[in-house]
This record gives sequence, C-alpha cells and structure tokens, in this order.
Amino acid sequence: MKHLVLIVALTATPAFAQVTADTPNPAAVTPASAQVVADTPNPLAGKADAVEAGHALFGQMNCAGCHAYDLTGGMGPDLTDNSWQYGGKPGEIFHTIAEGTPRGMPAWKDKLTPDQIWQIVTYIQSKHAN
Amino acid sequence: MAFRRFLLGAALVMATPALGAGDAAPANKSFTGATANLAPGDPPGQWTRQARDYANTRYSPLAQINKANVGKLRIAWTFSDGQMYGHEGAPLVVGDTMYLVTPFPNIAYALDLSKAGAPIKWVFQPNPDPRAIGEACCDKVLRGWAYADGKLIYNLLDDHTVAVDAATGKEVWRTLLDDVTKGPTLTQAAFTVGNKVFVGSSGGELGTNGWFAALDVKDGHVIWKALTNGPDSTMLIGPDFKPFYPWMQGKDLGVSTWPGEMWKQGASAPWGWVSYDPDLNQIYYGTSNPGPRVPSQRPGLNLWSSAVFARDADTGAAKWAYQFTPHDEWDYDGVNENVLIEIPWKGARRKVMVHFNRNGFAYTIDRATGEVLVAEPFGLQNWAKKVDLATGMPIVNDAAHPIVEKKVTNICPPDIGVKNWNPSAFSPRTGLLYAGVFNSCMDLTNHEVKYIPGAPYDGMEMQRHAGPGGNWGEFIAWDPVKGKRIWSIKENLYVWSGAVVTGSDLVFYGTMDGWFRAVDARSGKVLWSQKLGSGITAAPMTFLGPDKRQYVAVYAGVGGGAGVLRRENGFMPGGNTLYVFSVDGLGIGSGTTQLVSHATAAAPISVPPAAAHN
Repeated sequence: MKHLVLIVALTATPAFAQVTADTPNPAAVTPASAQVVADTPNPLAGKADAVEAGHALFGQMNCAGCHAYDLTGGMGPDLTDNSWQYGGKPGEIFHTIAEGTPRGMPAWKDKLTPDQIWQIVTYIQSKHAN
Repeated sequence: MAFRRFLLGAALVMATPALGAGDAAPANKSFTGATANLAPGDPPGQWTRQARDYANTRYSPLAQINKANVGKLRIAWTFSDGQMYGHEGAPLVVGDTMYLVTPFPNIAYALDLSKAGAPIKWVFQPNPDPRAIGEACCDKVLRGWAYADGKLIYNLLDDHTVAVDAATGKEVWRTLLDDVTKGPTLTQAAFTVGNKVFVGSSGGELGTNGWFAALDVKDGHVIWKALTNGPDSTMLIGPDFKPFYPWMQGKDLGVSTWPGEMWKQGASAPWGWVSYDPDLNQIYYGTSNPGPRVPSQRPGLNLWSSAVFARDADTGAAKWAYQFTPHDEWDYDGVNENVLIEIPWKGARRKVMVHFNRNGFAYTIDRATGEVLVAEPFGLQNWAKKVDLATGMPIVNDAAHPIVEKKVTNICPPDIGVKNWNPSAFSPRTGLLYAGVFNSCMDLTNHEVKYIPGAPYDGMEMQRHAGPGGNWGEFIAWDPVKGKRIWSIKENLYVWSGAVVTGSDLVFYGTMDGWFRAVDARSGKVLWSQKLGSGITAAPMTFLGPDKRQYVAVYAGVGGGAGVLRRENGFMPGGNTLYVFSVDGLGIGSGTTQLVSHATAAAPISVPPAAAHN
C-alpha cells in the first residue's frame, strides 16, 4: 500500500513544463511553508545540482524580471547585498518565497514544490560570499 | 564589425557642437515659425493641468522672472511629503491653492498659497492596496494629477481612479478599472477635457493587455474603454479608422499580427501623456512595448504596441494610428508626450504633433492624417539606419537584432531610450522644443520567458553604458521642422526631468545629480543653477501667487525608471521635497529681512527676579 501511495503521489506531480497558475499544489496535504521555520536548515545546502536547478527556476518563474538576472534587483530588492527585509536565514527566505510579502512579492507556494523553493533558496545563497 | 563601423559613424554624426554664435535667431524671432493653440487659455498665472494646456506645450506666458533677474532666484518655501518613491508630477495651482499628490500611497495635499509658508488646507489618504507595490515595474510612481469641475482627479497605483472635492478634500467617487493582482497598475497622469477624464493602464513588463478609458468627471462611470491589442470591436476600431500607411490597414490586426492568442498578454499599455486637439476633437496617446520583451517569442508586427493613436474624444472611435517601432525588439515604448503645434510646411501651415520616441527618432506627424513628415535622430541611436518616409517604416540595422541566450553588444539606445516619459516643452516664441535626453547603449542578452499572471513577462538582461563623450545625459533644443538640434547642454547623468519654458525665454529643467537650472531658450546658456536635496525626475512648473509674484516650483525626489543609474557616481538618494523659488526668495509674509509668520516675536516670559546674591 505504501508503495502504491508513493507512486500515485509521484505521477500526480506535474512536470515543470505543465505547471500553470492554476495547477494545484501537489504538496497541499502538507503545506509547503507550514513546516519551515526561520531556523530550518536548507536540506539542499551547498548542493551543486540544486544551485543549477534553482538558477533555471529563477529565470523560468520570472524571478529575474523583478530581481534581475544577476540578482542585484530592479523592480524588486537586491538579493546579493546581505540586507534582508524579511530575514536572510534559509528558512526565512523559503518563507518569503512561499508566502510572498505584504509589499508586493507574490506567494509561490501554489506554483512551486517545497523542493523547488529550496532549490531557489540554494541558488540565492550561492550568490553570497560567506 | 560592420556594426562597429556604423556605431562609430553614428557617434561622429551625433558629436555636433553646441550652437555657434552665428546660428542664433534674433532676440524676438522664431527659429522655425512653429506656433501652438494654447487652449483652454487658462489665466497666465494658473497651472491647472500637468502640461498647462491641451497641446502639452508646458509653455507659460509669465515673464516676471527674466534673464536679468533669474540669477537672484532663491528658495521661498519648501514642502516635504514624506514618501520616498520617485516623484514625477508637477504641482497644480488653481486659484490660491496648490495641489500635490505623492507617489504610492498616493496621498493628496492642498496647500494654502495665500498664507505665509503655504500651510496645509487638507490631506486626503486613499489607502490603496499595497499589493500594487509588487506589480509596478519602475518604482511606485505617479506622473501627475488633474483638476476639473471642482475636483482633484488622479490614479491610484492599485487600478482605481479617484476624485476628491478640491475645497474639502473629501472623496467624491472612486472607480475600479482593473485587477492589480494580475499585473496592471496605474501610474499615468489622468488628463481631463470637458466632462471626461482620460486614463491609461501601466504594465508593459507584466504581460497585461493595455487599455485606455474615458470616465465621467461627475461620477466616475466609464464612458468608453478601448483595448490596445485585440479584435477591432474591443479596440473601438471601425469605419472611421484610416491609418496613413497600407501596412497598418486591415481587419483585426490587433490579433493577426501576433502568434495565436499572445495579444492577450501583449501589453501595449498606454501609460504616458495624453494630448487633446480642440480643432479636430481628437485625443492622442501612445502605447508601450509589446510583451514579452523577447521578440523571437512573438513573430509579427505586434500591433498596436509601440504606437500612437488618434481617437474621437467623445466616442473613443479610432481615427488613425502609427506604429513607431514595428515588432519592437528593444522595449522602445511609444508613450512619450505628443506636443501639438502648427508648422510652416512646403508653403502651407500644417497641424502636426511632435513626438520624441524612445527609439531615438523625433517624429513630426500630420495629426489629421497620421502622415510622418519628419523623422530624424535627436540623440544617439544605431538600431535603425533611418525611417523611410515613403513607407513610414524604419530600416533596421541587422546587427541590432537581439539573440536568445547570446550577448549582442552596443545596441543604442538601451531599453529606456534616448528619452523616456519626461515631458518636453515647446515655446511659440522660439518655435523650438526643449527636452532632456539620454546618451547610452546596451549589451543585451535575451532569455525566453513564460507568462505567469502577476509576475514580470520580460526576458531582457542588459548592461547599459554611457555613449560617446562619457556623459549619460543632455538637454537639447530641437527644430521640429528641419529635424535638427539647435543646441545641447551635456549633463553627467540622464536628464530625466520635465521642462517648462516661459514668455521671457527661460527654460527650466533638473538633473539626476540634483541641479535645477534656468537656461536661455535661444542660446542654451545656463543662467542659474541651484543644488537641491535629491535628484530631479519631476516636471517643473511656474505660477503667480496671490501676491501676483511669479514662482517656479519643482519636486526633488529621484526615482522611477531613473533608478537604472542608481549605482552611478553622483546619483543622489531619494527625496520628497517640493522647492518653490522666487526672486530673492520673497513671498507672502516676507518682511524686510525674514519671513513674517505667526511666530514673529518672542512672547515675554514673566520670570521672578533672581534672588539677590548676598
């Protein structure tokens, strides 16, 4: 039974190309942001393939339209300058992407899986020299 | 390489010297013979609409401040409104009251000019939806506001138009025109004629479908609304529509010049200025870039993006249109002001409009027919070899086409153009136009994008750099008949302020590094400069106070699209202060040495005498 559920869950997750504005959140049973708190570590931290996937999503989901292709901002804030209006910990960045902000950042939890959000977080973190 | 050579050639052509002494017209003679209908003919001291007149000249007949005394301009008073987004509009003066509206959250102020220091009469806070903040592409700005029928009327960033009782500051009506969560916002300066207020949408980078509407001044109901892409019926295109050039004639071109249904996200948002022509009862306005900004995703002309429309002011019926940049590949919006003038042309007078396009060409167009009479570069451009006047089509330079995922270098101008929305001025005395312009190019890499409602639909990655000379900006005088510059003043950064020209042949403009200048409209000589507290991206204006004294006013609050230069040396922090100048800084309540207000003298304080020290 357990295996069957897993298979159903996987096939019910649409490929990225099929995700539209109205695509339901495949992780809706466990809301993406509910389990993530400010101190939640990034499960993909430092993974090169996550950086690459996050980079691709940053362009595909039009993040670059506001934050620029080099992440230095424009219509939206600079993501490279270590100044965070809503917190710069991985869990906080995750939360901002998932839930949006009252000052115009859209909520992406219905358009991206938690894994995809973590990939974007990983990509943003990769642009910060420690 | 061919492209490089072309660029060099363009640079040489552009490097024209400033006006030589021998070129000057005599002190009171027009350079061109161009004139304008200055309807509605408001009293000279008033400034009741953003461009002062329907024709968008920004010409004031006032002449108290003149070449002899302009050097003595000093600050009379200032007013800070506390909002830090870019300030772009000009104050209105109606009677003894000045009206100001801030950028988001779009708070309106009425100031009493009859009292010392112009105290606040009323404040109106509309509390627009803050979700609009994330949908406005280029800062959370408002380009102006209107006065009509005893009301202050303006747009809110969250897609409402609101009317406020000008006497009391109480809301009279508020009309919702679109859904801000899908991308459209309102940043345009509402424009009023008679019983109508004209409003156009913003959102060229957000996959919107642009529209333009006429609302009733009395109650705000929509009288007519025309989409800028789509079937003819939704665009109010009917039998009266007669574009001059054959390639813009045909049925439903707002659909068929796009792949599939891409017109629905084709933007073409009319976020710029509106002109009204009382002779022909027509309004004129331009449309933005097509969406997405990546041209390979939308083969076709993409009508009616990057174009200008003439419409019947009463019915909205389209009369003609002209697409400046067919299949726009570089984000060259067509929304800049259309200044309505009359020029001598081949032995007769022609009613024309003059339009400085983002694409670097200044067009002089017959406003009855849409025929292009003049199209000449007014600044640095290399994307087109020329505009073919026989067809109305630009001849595009092959090396300027963007390529997906490949950097194409030195395309001039960049997305923000040789000039942006910052409005020019026209003087019927000199027959010239005056405009702040940009001198820059871009390296461009395009990325394909998908449409996601409410997110940018963009795809251009750019590095902008200054053009030949290293200066980003200039302020120029332009001959609209011959299509040539008369003089130019180089500035460090883009000149992104509006201009005003007066009956004493003074032109005022501001710079992004905070200088507010007065210039001789004939020679271009700088006669006065004052450093303000922020960069200037607003339009200056001039008026007579209740004391019959002439004042000049301008906001210093850099922002808006000008933010693209925020990392350049000299770019000033944001601000929100209106500066009001007069000769010697004198005004209502001025005493011999200082402003006399209610705080003129210290009241004696009764203090018991100190106990004597023994």
